[in-house]
Amino acid sequence: MTDRQNTTPDIDEAVDGQGRLRPHWGHILGTFSNLRNGGLTEQATRLNAAFDNEGVNGILQSAARQSWRCDPLPLPIVASEFNALTEGLAQRAELLEAILRDIYGPQSLLADGHLPPALVYPNDSFLRACHMDRKLHPSHRYMDFYAADLIRGQDGAWRVIADRTASAAGIAYALENRQVLSRVIPEVFRGTQMRGLRPFFDVWQGALQRMVNDRATIGRFQQAQMQSQQQSFFAGLVAPPQAGPGIALLTPGTSSRHWFEHMMLARELSCALVESGDLTVRGGGVFLKTLKGLQRVDVLLNRKDPRLLDPLELDTGARGVPGIMDAMRNAAIHISNHPGAGMVEAPALAAWLPALSMRFLGERLKVPSADTVWLGDEPSRNLVLDDLASWRFRPATDRRPPARDPNRLSATDRRALLAEIEQNPWRFAATRAMSPSVAPCVGTDGLEPRPVVLRLYMVFDGATWHAMDGGLARVVESGNKAGGNRVSKDVWVLNDEGHDVFGILPQLTTPVAIRRTTGDLPSRVADNLFWLGRYVERLEGSARLVRATMTRVSRGAVLPHEMVELAALSRALVEAGLIPADAVAVAGGGAALTAALLGSVRDSGSIAGPIARLADSVARLTDLVRDRLTGDMYGAFTSSLRQIRRNARAVGGSSEALSLVMVDILRFSASVAGLAAENMVRGGGWLFLELGRRMERAQSICTQIGYTLEQSPAQLEPALRLVLELCDSLITYRTRYLTVLQAGPVLDLVLADDGNPRGLAFQLVSIGNLLDQIAGPGDRPLSGVAATLADDVQAMVARVAAAPDQAIAASLLPDTLHSLAESIAALSDRVTRHYFALLPVTQTLGTGEETAPLQGAA
Amino acid sequence: MRYRVEHTTTFTYAKPVELASHMVHLLPRELPHQQVIESELIADPAAGRRTDATDHFGNRVSWLFLDVAHPRFDVTLRAEIEVQFPPAPDPDDTLPWEAIATARDGGPGQWQAAEFVFQSPMVAADPEVAAYVAQSFPTGRKILVGIIDLLARIRCDFRFQSGVTTIATPVGKVLAQKAGVCQDFSHLMISGLRSLGIPARYVSGYIRTRPPPGQIRRRGADQSHAWVGVWLGPEDGWVDVDPTNNIVVRDEHVVLGWGRDYGDLSPVRGVILGGGKHTLAVSVDLLEV
Repeated sequence: MTDRQNTTPDIDEAVDGQGRLRPHWGHILGTFSNLRNGGLTEQATRLNAAFDNEGVNGILQSAARQSWRCDPLPLPIVASEFNALTEGLAQRAELLEAILRDIYGPQSLLADGHLPPALVYPNDSFLRACHMDRKLHPSHRYMDFYAADLIRGQDGAWRVIADRTASAAGIAYALENRQVLSRVIPEVFRGTQMRGLRPFFDVWQGALQRMVNDRATIGRFQQAQMQSQQQSFFAGLVAPPQAGPGIALLTPGTSSRHWFEHMMLARELSCALVESGDLTVRGGGVFLKTLKGLQRVDVLLNRKDPRLLDPLELDTGARGVPGIMDAMRNAAIHISNHPGAGMVEAPALAAWLPALSMRFLGERLKVPSADTVWLGDEPSRNLVLDDLASWRFRPATDRRPPARDPNRLSATDRRALLAEIEQNPWRFAATRAMSPSVAPCVGTDGLEPRPVVLRLYMVFDGATWHAMDGGLARVVESGNKAGGNRVSKDVWVLNDEGHDVFGILPQLTTPVAIRRTTGDLPSRVADNLFWLGRYVERLEGSARLVRATMTRVSRGAVLPHEMVELAALSRALVEAGLIPADAVAVAGGGAALTAALLGSVRDSGSIAGPIARLADSVARLTDLVRDRLTGDMYGAFTSSLRQIRRNARAVGGSSEALSLVMVDILRFSASVAGLAAENMVRGGGWLFLELGRRMERAQSICTQIGYTLEQSPAQLEPALRLVLELCDSLITYRTRYLTVLQAGPVLDLVLADDGNPRGLAFQLVSIGNLLDQIAGPGDRPLSGVAATLADDVQAMVARVAAAPDQAIAASLLPDTLHSLAESIAALSDRVTRHYFALLPVTQTLGTGEETAPLQGAA
Repeated sequence: MRYRVEHTTTFTYAKPVELASHMVHLLPRELPHQQVIESELIADPAAGRRTDATDHFGNRVSWLFLDVAHPRFDVTLRAEIEVQFPPAPDPDDTLPWEAIATARDGGPGQWQAAEFVFQSPMVAADPEVAAYVAQSFPTGRKILVGIIDLLARIRCDFRFQSGVTTIATPVGKVLAQKAGVCQDFSHLMISGLRSLGIPARYVSGYIRTRPPPGQIRRRGADQSHAWVGVWLGPEDGWVDVDPTNNIVVRDEHVVLGWGRDYGDLSPVRGVILGGGKHTLAVSVDLLEV
């Protein structure tokens, strides 16, 4: 079996037929070959590291997930060629739009026999729920966004191998490639006149703004046409005044392969990043559930499989937004692209595009498709079957499965393919095999020519299509390797001599009203930030406990006061779930305790230790709220977490290594606090991160001091020393009181002094302030609870200070402290119920097994 | 024949439902031989928002959205309908079935029927079912002759028994156990006909029932019913047949609508928030007027 059936050499992007370097590559290759810092291979390594730091590849890399890689050498395209290509793609996009209008409307293409029913009716992306029984407004669009995959064949012409109309991944990666490349190897951009990517995002943002305005117009038009009367829109629904246009990007969530891209796009386009659960349909409109109530969404940039959008009408059981299709048909929301748009991605459609282009546009296709036939057509089928090796086979209406190459199939699989074609030929499209052009890539031994596929992106601004002046070139892996890294190239559109570098863009957006609050924070995000705060603090608290214990164990506890401290620490460790209760049952069991502590960071195999699990929770939550963190914050989070995991794995049986991991954790926690303080705007997300942290710390201070003080008054002194150590307040105490340890002053410092950030009073006062800011004026029941708790603490400490014997008074505190911890936990629960999306479960009726079947009449 | 129908679906929830969306296929469609004299859809509690439209298949569909907490939801159709389907063509005058099996190619005259040749979500192709149905269609047999033969075979081979299937039971299993209810027989027949390339669709509606001799009519004891529409070619068009009762539809059936399978026109489909466990009760009355 051979890969290629002919011996014609592939087109080389960089070298012409006579072996000469093409002019537009000359400068680029020259620049790259003059690079310092160890040449191209070294640059490739630096780029890889940059992508890891940037977090494109996530923290918890699983084996299944591929890493994103960018080849240092770009793929340059001269402007004249690029313009011709994108002009052709704009024509194609308009053609596809016309086809969609017909298929979801009068279906004249089917009625007149210009398209076979086999391309439409069995097509999973043909959504019957998108049928419109009303006349469409002229501004109604199925496609605002379009992307195409192209390869350059041996004749030198670019051909489209796939149209993307449902959604097209990769656009944020293209942007990321450009940004990382220009940061890591800035030299190569000097002296090259290339177009920027940024203007495309400005056009897109303007287009979204325009869709918001069009939506209102189309909505009125649709309403006027309704056959039956409806209850008034949004009757009785009090939505807060809208601060800005409601534009949201719908992502399947952090589990999606493309979540990074969704997050970046939402940032670039200044729209809210939402998941299905964040949206609700009320009174026919779609709303985002935020901390400050429901916010209207006018335009939804959909990055979810359209078939999973609405469990009421489309795939049942999907976690979608019930009622969103009804809202869309009534133009209460514009979904971009229209959920039905995916049907024109059908691979077999390419066979009809030349004829349909003449029919709808009266023009020939400017950028043709790769040679494609539909096997439902008998002459085409015979043509293909006579020359099987030259064709690649795909389902006629589903672009997702990879093409089957008969040359690579086993004899059995090949027979199976032929039998399938024989039985249901209409299910297949065949595309003539093409070998893509090759471009130089950095390999292990210098430059290697590798085949490339080019993806270009277009957006419609209401009048014309605009191309992103760049794109994503993907390097085709040799062989069908599963896994491995996905290698891409930045695409440079080189300006021809004498052209302006950047055009001036029309300002399409209306000025944005100034806002100082972030009330539109989705409840889900607030929830995640709150828990991130709690878990980071819990991780830190655990590290402090472990460290304090390890110090004592390694010294060897012999003196009575040391035994007291160890016993108190062990109880706190057990209570915090860090070690099993039986690890401390052995009297003076230093060895058992050490073993248990070593186990707490283990993350190999199926048993992960509690600290390892905590670190994983922090990593998971960090990923969930990533869109709310600055790049620097996220980078700092991920690199510290990676280090913690790496060092934890290497601990083995070394208690010294364990102590070092605790140091890593404490540094991580300190850097989170510092980054949050210095990089996050005080409002919205920061409030919840901080609130979580303060809640956790308040609770753990109460619990830990409670266990430590459970001593007879005679043994109180070592307990007080431990209290100061756990609250990181030894030095402050010494500067205030020198070496005299007394219950009154100690407890004042760690419980009542609201100037001590490690003390309880400080946490409670902060919690009160944070809750005030979250609630806004007028509504402060929760902050009142915090204030009462703070007063209780002051009174408690005052009683100890005033007691005739402070030691006796202090040893009576544990019960009070434990119940205080419970009160704080209860307050935390109230916050959760009040602000977060604790919604009951959604159920589907009338489609499941539980539905009584029809009886019929026999 | 003129009928009055009252069809109530009741959901009772263990806990109040806070938010509910329902898609309802209950209003009967107007047809050349079925006149809808009056029809109304009543929801209790009343929907905060209601949308009415015609779906892809031309059926009437309503969406009801409720945003007040409710422990129970009733939706009732009340309608008066006059039906008189024309007699089916003489079976011997219909086309040979192979001539119908070209419908998949579409084009003028048959592009709409083509939709009903392809598999649909609830009616998968099944080789056993295909073989069973194919026995009624030897080479060259007239389509309606084959259909009538098939109706008789289904009536004879299958036992009507409720409780042995759900709406999700695959047709292969129905064939294996030789038992089921009207929608199972309909899905099975549709699956087999489509395997031969013959367009077949799922029809939802009601059938007149007579109380057993000597007993009085009980209110609400009637049932929703389902049967099959078969395409006999551009000339003869669609003819409805009832595999459960081995008859060609004339004036004892009232049509609500049709689709590829049950999924396209389940009478009441909903998504609710909250509610806990729920129970469903359906009552149908079909009276001759």
